[in-house]
Amino acid sequence: MQTTDLGRRRFLMNALAMSALGLMPGNAFAAPIAKVKALGVLRVAVYKDNRPWSWRQDGKLIGIDADLGAALAKALGVRVDLAELIADESVDDDLRNGVWKGGLLGFQPADIMLHIPFDRGFAARNEQVAIIAPYYRETFQFACVKGEIDCNAIPSQFRGHKLAAEIDSIPDFYLMGTFGGILAKDVAHFPSGADAVNAIIDGHAEGVLASRAQIEAVLADRKPANIARRTTPLPAFPSPGWDIGMAVKENSRNLGDSVEAILTEMAASGELKAIFDRYGVTYAPALAA
Amino acid sequence: MTGRFMRSMAGAALCALLAAGAPLLAAGAGPTDADLMADASSTGDVLTYGMGPQAQRFSTLNAINTETVSKLVPAFAASLGGEKQRGQESQPLVYDGTIYVTGSYSRLFAFDAKTGEQKWKYEARLPDGIMPCCDVVNRGAAIYGDKIIFATLDARLVALNRNTGKVVWNKQIADYQAGYSATAAPLIVKGMVITGNSGGEFGIVGAVEARDVNTGELIWHRPVVEGNMGTLRGKDNGITGKLNASWEGDLWKTGGGATWLGGTYDPETNLLYFGTGNPAPWNSHLRKGDNLYTASTLAIDPDTGTIKWHYQTTPHDGWDFDGVNEFIPFDATINGKPMKLGAKADRNGYFFVLDRTNGKFISANKFVMQTTWAKGYDKNGKPIVIPTGRPGAPEGAAKGTSVFSSPSFLGGKNWMPMAYSKDTGLFYIPSNDWGMDIWNEPIAYKKGAAYLGAGFTIKPIAEDHIGALRAMDPKTGKIVWEYKNKAPLWGGVLTTAGNLVFTGTPEGYLKAFDAKSGKELWKFQTGSGVVGSPITWEQDGEQYVAVMSGWGGAVPLWGGEVAKSFKDINQGGSLWVFKLPKG
Repeated sequence: MQTTDLGRRRFLMNALAMSALGLMPGNAFAAPIAKVKALGVLRVAVYKDNRPWSWRQDGKLIGIDADLGAALAKALGVRVDLAELIADESVDDDLRNGVWKGGLLGFQPADIMLHIPFDRGFAARNEQVAIIAPYYRETFQFACVKGEIDCNAIPSQFRGHKLAAEIDSIPDFYLMGTFGGILAKDVAHFPSGADAVNAIIDGHAEGVLASRAQIEAVLADRKPANIARRTTPLPAFPSPGWDIGMAVKENSRNLGDSVEAILTEMAASGELKAIFDRYGVTYAPALAA
Repeated sequence: MTGRFMRSMAGAALCALLAAGAPLLAAGAGPTDADLMADASSTGDVLTYGMGPQAQRFSTLNAINTETVSKLVPAFAASLGGEKQRGQESQPLVYDGTIYVTGSYSRLFAFDAKTGEQKWKYEARLPDGIMPCCDVVNRGAAIYGDKIIFATLDARLVALNRNTGKVVWNKQIADYQAGYSATAAPLIVKGMVITGNSGGEFGIVGAVEARDVNTGELIWHRPVVEGNMGTLRGKDNGITGKLNASWEGDLWKTGGGATWLGGTYDPETNLLYFGTGNPAPWNSHLRKGDNLYTASTLAIDPDTGTIKWHYQTTPHDGWDFDGVNEFIPFDATINGKPMKLGAKADRNGYFFVLDRTNGKFISANKFVMQTTWAKGYDKNGKPIVIPTGRPGAPEGAAKGTSVFSSPSFLGGKNWMPMAYSKDTGLFYIPSNDWGMDIWNEPIAYKKGAAYLGAGFTIKPIAEDHIGALRAMDPKTGKIVWEYKNKAPLWGGVLTTAGNLVFTGTPEGYLKAFDAKSGKELWKFQTGSGVVGSPITWEQDGEQYVAVMSGWGGAVPLWGGEVAKSFKDINQGGSLWVFKLPKG
């Protein structure tokens, strides 16, 4: 967590002052817009180890989501308190831990959480939060080492070449399971998509299936000359892509409204695209936006 | 933050005061290896998790018996205090006038065994980045010499001076940031602390490890998934099994099989018995093969950490049937032949009897109402699997067909330990009858990314109960009696030479049953759900019984119809101690 002890203490003192004024809501920490402004801090939950969205480099928390969280706070005229959340088994669990209830071991709910899928079916079963402000369209992509694999070939032709994927992800399921599982022996598993992309640059694999943001960010960072990207769709691939938005507590909708207004402004002014550019990722507006 | 800091300061001051008084006690004195091995027959103490390294949970004490148990009354109760209540799955230890018990959130308490007054407590300082899969429980401590040792949620092993509560050593046993945790009671054998590991995240590999009890230094490490290298005193000690014999590609590197419930030890055969968890990833269609040695019982040589035999209870698991359950050594005559046996009641609903010297299959019998995944076991010990009972492979397009699967993934029996009576020759199994609907869930997301998940709901399969305490005859595979309980049973069992069986219920009762007939003879309401394991010992000529009360564990984390059976149960955190009135 980025909040220092000093920062936390000041925050608590503010909270005490608020409570003396009778302003404290039932749940002290997930505050709608007036409370956020009165406390002078926006607590933003982002995923831990989620390159290029939020991860630590030389101890500093950076990434597209980290910068976006800071930009939202700045536009609201408050300080940002970025809180790193360890992903649980599903995003539904993350919403409980990060937004509406808090963690078993004391993780305080955030005012807003970034990188939440913007999907009607998903939103319908998570009634305790409002999912808002879609800000990006994500898809999976295939990249390969030139000369080793023909990136646009039928995947069954990749047999015998090492293929990198994040463990327990759609790319993993696809490579392990499709075409009768003939590629299963060739899949090399990595803890994250970014690690999988690094693996083809470092010569540990010849192809990688990861999110477009993961591929673009690592390629921009490492600038290898020998990596190509597939330009045609993968046959029978189970995910058409998904929109990414944010979540606030169900009773914090006016905070959500303010954030949506800020985001619209950032998209129009090019500020949003500039954040993505900083990490080498091509900004793609959400389909729902 | 401030509150936690002040509490730990107060603890330090208390420790300092106690330390000043400590020289009265001889340094280093306390239970020896021989004492631990004899725990099952020594009635004046409880030195091991399981009341003996074999974990039979049987006591020869009989002052409290079928005639007298109705008079059993509380001697005292002791609260673990604070706001940190949640599930209390611990089994207390008793030694030298002190009851040692672990609590939720990795705490350890020492209470005066006569008065219940607290002598000291230790609270592990936990990082807030831990994601324990199934509540913040701890199942118990181990005692050796002047030390008391327990594992913490951030995957550390902590040895405290048992008189003062001061830290003697504190070792990281795995990286909690990589998803590892620790909740089981350690086992001490031949001056070594033997532990398993736990963790729900992908990327972990189950292992059993031995450490020097005096320093915490690693002696051997034995991964339980084939292909992974073991070590002995810092040197390679052979890979487990045979590389890629039952796994494809590199999946063995992240194959799961967490040994999260610890193990038992049999001095006669000099073998450690550890159960292993389910394989990863959850979708069995992606990992062809038996996936050894997940969902298995392993016999391990404590001197070298090598695997002597294995028996896999659920080959190619696709139902989340962890094989972690305790394997309890016992002797019986089968077909006229006296045999050294061991038994295990598995998550998958079957009760296994094996030859504990070589792992040879003797029998497997159903101890729950229904198993939809298999019809039984053949004479070679292989399950007769029902193919339609396996959850399907996830496919992207639409919600898949729902499969009804029983037992549910919480198992016919979960973590809660059974007991074996040398008098009746019966095993007493705390079991649950429940199933689940499971289907492919295309609208699934993990760490903000699209994912192919599974949806499920757990549901009761009988109108009158979920929990059932069952007496199983290991020689015939027949259920001799059963006690049905409305809510799921989640606590351990104790049996005694007083012809009694004790176990707790989520409804808050500690109950005593006639070991031969199953007739309920006594109950006491402890104020919160009982999910701990009861013990008994003798002190000043009187027999005592103790149990932890405090509702929690994995059950309340899952909703659905099952939740109706425990919606009115409140949290707690107390040690209850009982005895017969004097005179």
